[in-house]
Amino acid sequence: MSSMRERMNRLRGSQEAVTEGQPADQPESAQAVVPASARQETAAGSSLAAAVKGDDHEAVWTKLQVTERGNEWGSFLQREVRYSLEHRHGHHMLSELADTALHLKAFHSDESGLAAPAMDNLLFLDLETTGLGAGAGNIPFMAGLAFVEERQFVIIQYLIRHPAEERAMLADLQDRMDSFQYLVTYNGRTFDWPVLAGRFIMNGLDRAELKLKHLDFLHPSRSIWRNTLASCKLSYVEEERLGIHRVDDVPGSEAPAIYFQFLADSNPAPLEGVFVHNELDMLAMACLSIRFGRLLDNRIAGERYAPEKPEEWIRTGLWLERMGQTQQAEALFRIIMETDPEGEPSLLLLAARDKKIGNWERAVLLWQKVAMKGHVLYTSVYEAHIELAMYYEHRAKQLDTALAYAKGAQRVISDRAHLHRADAKRRAEQEALSNRIERLTRKLSR
Amino acid sequence: MLKKKSLLELIDDLRKNENIVNWHEIPPQEAQTRPIPESVDPRIREALHKRGIVELYTHQETAFRIVAAQENIVAVTPTASGKTLCYNLPVLQEIARDDSSRALYLFPTKALAQDQKSELNEIIDEMGIDIKSFTYDGDTSPAIRQKVRLAGHIVITNPDMLHSAILPNHTKWVSLFENLKFIVIDELHTYRGVFGSHVANVIRRLRRICKFYGSDPTFICTSATIANPKELAEQLTGNPMRLIDDNGAPRGRKHFVFYNPPIVNAPLNIRKSSTIEVNNLAKEFLKHKIQTIVFARSRVRVEIILSHIQELVKNEIGSKTIRGYRGGYLPKQRREIERGLRDGEILGVVSTNALELGVDIGQLQVCVMTGYPGSIASTWQQAGRAGRRHGEALIIMVASSTPIDQYVVQNPEYFFDRSPEHARINPENLLILVDHMRCAAYELPFKATEEFGPLDVTDILEYLQEERVLHRNGDMFYWAAQSFPASEISLRSASQENVVIVDQSNVAAVKIIGEMDRFSAMTLLHDEAIYLHEGVQYQVEQLDWDHKKAYVREVDVEYYTDANLAVNLKVLEIDRTNDRGQAAVNYGDVAVNMIPTIFKKIKLTTFENIGSGPIHLPEEELHTSATWLELKQVDPEIGTKTLEQLLLGIANVFQHIVPVLVMCDRGDVHVTPQIKAAHTGLPTIFIYDHYPGGIGLADDVYKRFDEVRESAKNLIRRCPCKEGCPSCIGTEIAGMNGKHRSMQLLSLL
Repeated sequence: MSSMRERMNRLRGSQEAVTEGQPADQPESAQAVVPASARQETAAGSSLAAAVKGDDHEAVWTKLQVTERGNEWGSFLQREVRYSLEHRHGHHMLSELADTALHLKAFHSDESGLAAPAMDNLLFLDLETTGLGAGAGNIPFMAGLAFVEERQFVIIQYLIRHPAEERAMLADLQDRMDSFQYLVTYNGRTFDWPVLAGRFIMNGLDRAELKLKHLDFLHPSRSIWRNTLASCKLSYVEEERLGIHRVDDVPGSEAPAIYFQFLADSNPAPLEGVFVHNELDMLAMACLSIRFGRLLDNRIAGERYAPEKPEEWIRTGLWLERMGQTQQAEALFRIIMETDPEGEPSLLLLAARDKKIGNWERAVLLWQKVAMKGHVLYTSVYEAHIELAMYYEHRAKQLDTALAYAKGAQRVISDRAHLHRADAKRRAEQEALSNRIERLTRKLSR
Repeated sequence: MLKKKSLLELIDDLRKNENIVNWHEIPPQEAQTRPIPESVDPRIREALHKRGIVELYTHQETAFRIVAAQENIVAVTPTASGKTLCYNLPVLQEIARDDSSRALYLFPTKALAQDQKSELNEIIDEMGIDIKSFTYDGDTSPAIRQKVRLAGHIVITNPDMLHSAILPNHTKWVSLFENLKFIVIDELHTYRGVFGSHVANVIRRLRRICKFYGSDPTFICTSATIANPKELAEQLTGNPMRLIDDNGAPRGRKHFVFYNPPIVNAPLNIRKSSTIEVNNLAKEFLKHKIQTIVFARSRVRVEIILSHIQELVKNEIGSKTIRGYRGGYLPKQRREIERGLRDGEILGVVSTNALELGVDIGQLQVCVMTGYPGSIASTWQQAGRAGRRHGEALIIMVASSTPIDQYVVQNPEYFFDRSPEHARINPENLLILVDHMRCAAYELPFKATEEFGPLDVTDILEYLQEERVLHRNGDMFYWAAQSFPASEISLRSASQENVVIVDQSNVAAVKIIGEMDRFSAMTLLHDEAIYLHEGVQYQVEQLDWDHKKAYVREVDVEYYTDANLAVNLKVLEIDRTNDRGQAAVNYGDVAVNMIPTIFKKIKLTTFENIGSGPIHLPEEELHTSATWLELKQVDPEIGTKTLEQLLLGIANVFQHIVPVLVMCDRGDVHVTPQIKAAHTGLPTIFIYDHYPGGIGLADDVYKRFDEVRESAKNLIRRCPCKEGCPSCIGTEIAGMNGKHRSMQLLSLL
């Protein structure tokens, strides 16, 4: 087809051939090794890339514990890894699922007639796809599933050798899903499930809505760690909060390039890194299930993985409250008040919650803590002053106190004036404050 | 207070004006109607009655009947003839019959889609049936999007949105695609050139997806008057079409007047400014409270005319009742102006061709055009803005001194006797086709034997496989790349690898203000070039050719820049030749090598050359289609120097006339003369498409060359100048009897 290439190059005005599919050089991470946690458990053992030479692809597949499977739609590959429930992954032991899974029912508390979540009705799912988003051309080339069976944590990883195997793989996956009640994912609501649903349609399979109840742990993770972690990516959350340290992990973003290379040369060795990455993601989801189950069971205080920062305590409490666990939430709020993190900006979150439900006493206390002890350059100090000024003006009807706080806010603004440009928002803020002071002064002079 | 004159009185006054060069009267037409067909759902009938519609115009009735027989139609209707009922009636009828049915409406712009939704929802409300129609565009909120996908009976969108958001995510639109009964394409005539060629491919992708979901929708297209509506619709949709042109809408008497401003400098053939004449004419009508629309060709021109007219009439009627209308106004502002025009609160509007499209502003009494709008079709559309169903209407076209304006006003038969232009597309342009095959493969795997347009596409599939964009397995090709191809392809871009124009006037808020194709950028965005964008001057501070970015900063200077481009043409392949003895006309592929050399700074007021500088850019090569004219035998007495001048002059005329004849923008076709063409050594004039691979313009010139040549000769002959002027063959030809000799040369062809 070089004549077509020549024509295209001529029309594009480019001299050299342009390859748009993927970078020509293979990613370095193709040399990935199995992480320590997996090494003891699996027979995959040492680094495959080093162990297997030449074109002996069969040997690589065997080493990877990959076997061929088939159904009426055709064949595909499957890798199976089993972990003992006594396996410890970071802070948690997989067996903890047994008594924590139940508490995840809070995620679907408003629905009746559901089987309660239990260790053996959870299905963990994580896809590795050829691109981003849920567009029609994004193909899941690997689908990882995990579940507990016969006191073992079983990980099944499907792999398609080429896109034509997709239908057979999806049909098998669909069959397996039927035997579970809960689907556990990380960002599955916006990614994994819509992608799968689209693929079922594209492959002419059953298009029913998701029958399983979805437990997407990205959302609670964001609720709790939004500000205290630099990122809520699974690999980041597990390292910072679950005590899991991946070694030589192949980032998910490199998986497509590795797969396209495999499509081109059929050499399975570099896929090992992708298998392991996917496997670790599913172990991490199991640990997150344990973590959220424990939080919902109020087994937090005193544990070594208790929240580290006051903001995390507060956000955990607020999340528990949203999940209907008001008592647990209140217990956490009390702990926060006891530890007395003075000047902590996140106290405003709790104050806002108290204000909303009319718990004025504590709200005022919290605002005062922030207003008096906070760093003068924090926006929170200004906001606390304003809240107090509003409270004393409209609720407590103590106009002089209100004016004092309003003037305090004015001082905060002038103290940090040099830090910010006077944009529209700040000018509006300043104007509102001036109006407030003027109004209070007027009322007081009557 | 002066006595208000009626339009009839003003028309009589105008008849005495000595600058009128042609007066054409279009007789009134009675409405031709037929009863609303029996089969129409009683609820729809009732809703129509409420709107005062008790019978259908013939074209509406025909459309309904033919669509009911599941034939595809293209309805050609002038402005304000009730064309929306041609599609709304069959669509609403079908959805009333079967609630699961779906329809997709395509409009070229978001504004038109919004208009249509409002109009449609009014009828639906009166019908009392729960039919949901939604617009789906960049402004649709994510919450609504979900609803549109699942429950929208009628989805109103634009081709760009279809291309980049709907088709690549078709699995989210299952209920639309499975039940799609109708695809409505309004303003069909706007889908021409590069844009139309892209859209034809988008529709191929759409049909492919419909087929996957088992639907086979009927196409309903509407178009303004062009020469080839049926052919264009068939090319765009890939389906056979029935043409409906039995327009039954009534219209009043129309006076179509050509106005040529008086000559103020006879030797140079310079006329009084058309803008000033337009101001004065418009003032007369507005003073007498006659609703008038003024068309101008650029946004800047709109603002200039607007402020003049407002100033002229402020004492009589108040400037608030005269408004401007152009791209760049906020949607809310536009809606307000449209409403003001409909209910008569606004008396006058000055607009760009933005109001040429189907936006509903009611019917005005007078239309004044500042210069020839560039095509016959466009002129009729603008003219259609004036003319109520009863009573007289007046259309005045005020010519500017450009050659084509002068040609039109002096050859009224060219305008009135000729069918309007052909709309050309070339969906098989290789670059465009390959782009959309990538998108199509992303959407659904390709079968090796699958069709995608009339060409065999196996070569392209194999090429994409080689590029590792597709993966082949058996006889199937699968998308196998990480990218999202639709986001890399713009339907409206002139060529690939556009130069992005970055405004860094405000360092804190650097913004992208536009794009330009790389060939044009060489002469318009080189370092130090003055670039005009929406009437604002920018200077290019740096053109980063490798990264295709031009960094500009707002300036206020007294000059513009003009770059010289050295062009070299190589013939790659001769496809067709028409030997005419002493000359030959050829069509084929050419390579155009371009390198900009220097630029000149030219003072705005006096056109003095006030400086110059070099341009350092690499040579660019454009492969495209061309028609070229070879002079095999030329009277040797003419001499090389003179011949060169004559070729330049003729090329100048072609550059003016060809875009008008083939209906494209001025920049889409380029004309280059060569005294000795590289492949033959003969004097040659090349006319080529300014887009890689060509979009069918040069092809059209080849096919209709006799017409092109005659038009060129006519332009030169009828030009009132003595020895050539900028309106015809240029001015550098004085003293050699240039006009006569140019026509002689043209006669050889």
